[in-house]
Amino acid sequence: MTNAYIPFSSTVTKIIRHTDIEYTFRMTFEGDVKPGQFFEVSIPKYGEAPISVSGIGPGTVDLTIRKVGRVTNRIFENYEGNTLLMRGPYGNGFDLEQYKGKELFIIAGGTGLSPVKGIVDYFSKHPEEAAGVTLIAGFKSPEDILFRDDFAVWKQKLNVIQTVDTAPEGYEGPTGMVTKYIPDLNIRDLKQSAFITVGPPVMIKFTILEILKLGVPEEQIWISHERRMCCGLGKCGHCRMGSAYVCLDGPVFNYAEGKNLID
Amino acid sequence: MGYLISRKTADELFARLSKSHDIFAPKLFPGEGCFSDTDIVRYGQVHTLDEIEFDRRSDYSSKETLLAVNETLFYFTEDATTVPSCTDRRLLIFLRSCDLHALRRLDAVYLENGPEDFYYRRLREKADFALMGCRETCDTGFCVSMGTNRTENYDLYLKPEGDAVYVDCRAERLLSYFREIDAEDCQMVPDHVTENREKVTLPKNLSVQSYDNPLWESYGNRCIGCGRCNFVCPTCTCFTMQDILYRDNEHVGERRRVHASCQVDGYTDLAGGGSFRKKQSERLRFKVMHKVCDFEKRFGYPMCVGCGRCDAVCPEYISYANLLNQLAKEEEA
Amino acid sequence: MGLDINTKKAKKNAYRISKVRGESAARIRVPGGCLKAEILGMVQNIAETYGNGIVHLTTRQGFEIEGIQLKDMDEINEMLQPIIELLDINQTAPGTGYPASGTRNISACIGNNVCPFANYNTAEFAKRIEKAVFPNDLHFKIALTGCSNDCAKARLHDFGIIGMTMPQYHPERCVSCQACVKGCKSLSVNALHMENYKIIRDEEKCVGCGVCITKCPTRAWTRSPKKYYKLTIMGRTGKRNPRLGEDFLIWTDEDTIVKIILNTYRYVKEYIDPGAPGGKEHIGYIIDRTGFAEYKKWALEGVELLPETKVRECVYWSGIHFD
Repeated sequence: MTNAYIPFSSTVTKIIRHTDIEYTFRMTFEGDVKPGQFFEVSIPKYGEAPISVSGIGPGTVDLTIRKVGRVTNRIFENYEGNTLLMRGPYGNGFDLEQYKGKELFIIAGGTGLSPVKGIVDYFSKHPEEAAGVTLIAGFKSPEDILFRDDFAVWKQKLNVIQTVDTAPEGYEGPTGMVTKYIPDLNIRDLKQSAFITVGPPVMIKFTILEILKLGVPEEQIWISHERRMCCGLGKCGHCRMGSAYVCLDGPVFNYAEGKNLID
Repeated sequence: MGYLISRKTADELFARLSKSHDIFAPKLFPGEGCFSDTDIVRYGQVHTLDEIEFDRRSDYSSKETLLAVNETLFYFTEDATTVPSCTDRRLLIFLRSCDLHALRRLDAVYLENGPEDFYYRRLREKADFALMGCRETCDTGFCVSMGTNRTENYDLYLKPEGDAVYVDCRAERLLSYFREIDAEDCQMVPDHVTENREKVTLPKNLSVQSYDNPLWESYGNRCIGCGRCNFVCPTCTCFTMQDILYRDNEHVGERRRVHASCQVDGYTDLAGGGSFRKKQSERLRFKVMHKVCDFEKRFGYPMCVGCGRCDAVCPEYISYANLLNQLAKEEEA
Repeated sequence: MGLDINTKKAKKNAYRISKVRGESAARIRVPGGCLKAEILGMVQNIAETYGNGIVHLTTRQGFEIEGIQLKDMDEINEMLQPIIELLDINQTAPGTGYPASGTRNISACIGNNVCPFANYNTAEFAKRIEKAVFPNDLHFKIALTGCSNDCAKARLHDFGIIGMTMPQYHPERCVSCQACVKGCKSLSVNALHMENYKIIRDEEKCVGCGVCITKCPTRAWTRSPKKYYKLTIMGRTGKRNPRLGEDFLIWTDEDTIVKIILNTYRYVKEYIDPGAPGGKEHIGYIIDRTGFAEYKKWALEGVELLPETKVRECVYWSGIHFD
């Protein structure tokens, strides 16, 4: 009988510093993993935190960690120790196949970009596999922008709108909430479109309102929920919404189903 | 097999069982109630029949025997993890029909929902279950309404009556304990209630539309969020993980899980700030909907077994049974 | 014929000398303020037969039957007999009423028969003290209260008995919800905090009120099997220097308290001012005269304290001085 609570040790192979409080840790990992899945990352004796996979490479996964709590504080102090304990991957993740051949629109806010970053990476490498990819990514301010190097690559291959909520005077580039850019999206064929939105609950709520206004059917919208995933195994109950366990059945939900899940 | 034995023989039976089993049963803990000079009935280890409290429903359910309030998952020593060893003895758990029905709910979450839980599984398969009959209804239970008032799903049934003890052994593996014991054969049907004082009709159509029902608010604003209803519930299974480092040696520690309550502050808190269901009324709705509809959607039967402990323990006299009846009545109208 | 009454004797017999000549009030002591309802009917009967139909509920939880005549004392004493017996009051001769009135009724809050905060049965302990000290002419005031809230105003008495419980922590039942920590902070003395997900109790700070126990949803906090008390001493009202009683013993037991009270009677007999008006002198003034060390010597004589009992070595009172 396997004990799913026992973590494995993983080595930090690279650290990418995005902001003062947001780093990506490239961790060794052999096994199947999908964008949108998450790992329970822990430092012995300090606790665990669910962290989304923000990139997938050969033999590695990227975990973008924001220094926000007891556990992540400790990870930032200790990254040079070279190993972290992990369990996972957990959750359903995004099914890339569903978006191939579609005109894909990804709307992400802040660290919400992590769970969809694998999808963006994939289509920026294989742009021919989609009928067009648009990324609207919102950050609080220019200092909060994540994945700067990646954006440079994406901008060459995909339609990217990188916006900041507020910017100092003289800032060149889009400003305002992500929702501002949705009404002007140029959709070639509504039926062949697919929308993914990830971010804080309030952002998801208003983004979906805007998407629905465009006439997009609910079945063509996907969301990823951030909840307190404590065990990742469908036992502890903290992440449950209605009849769904976000750690098992999600975090990715098709909106037609997800809209019926209430906290 | 049905047996009629004397109390003295029952002591011998317990002595035999104790050789292989750790026996857990509802016990009276004098003076350990909430208030001065009040008692509590909860689960503890027993060695004789006399120690078992047969007259009162336990205030805390039998779930504590398989899911400890605090359970160490593993110890950290430097970079190694060590899982605490499991008892090599079998368990015999005395419980009533409601709690035996609740066991099915625990199994659903811990064995069927996602991967099997290592710790639950290893204890669960060591356990035998001894049914305690209910000769009369308890004050707040509504097991008849929930269909949990009787069960045949027991290994042993024991009923002390005066100097005699009636025993029904259904588990093949326990028959050997009765070999050469001084007993008369007898037939029996376990005592069970056929009517409760509390009767509940479940609402059938709770949905997203029920979110705004003013009943949640009217009950929820009486709730103080203490979590007692969850902690006494035989079907509440939530836990929170805790990492502890020992104060006198920071290189050694443990990871635990402890019972959690969806009514208590902090249940949904995210590390980076942010939480869901800030109001007690939302938490109450979340709990009630889980007990009577969300669980059912997933597993095919309601979660609540109608034991009535939550109503009996609520310091604010919130009657969950009454709330269900009101929700059901609204549906009728 | 003029009334010929020995007022000293009448007062000792628990009759008041009132402002109306010839008229008195009969005082009935109810230890712990707890009585069978049938006594109310008996009080009513006396009030309507010999009094003016009015009964005063005293501040010390007794009755004072108003408007009776001093000349009727003997008949009233006969009628008081069943009340005295039902309340199990020590008596020297049946049918003669109360043998003393100096030591006042032992009063108490409602206690753990009813109140969720109370840590013991106040009425029962009040009755035990009554049995030990009554009858006695010395002016002692004793009150019992169930918890540190002190609803009985025990600290305004010569002896204030405050119920305590020694919280017992069962970490294996604790779910870190912190209901106890929040309860102790908002309702009591903030003696709890959480470390490593378990609760640490500041033993110096803890007043044994039991709030943590009533707040705990899992029985991780329970009461000690043994009941504990805080004994406060020499609180008083009065013209010269009213003051709150100060802690003398903390975490003590019933036997010790009863012994100390009895020892104090011996001390007062030894040191009371022989010229005190009406033979009444507040104990506190006697202690002011002899010094606390001398009192303590007498009070603790033959007393075996529990190992956990904390004794105040020196006690100082403040209060308001009008002298």
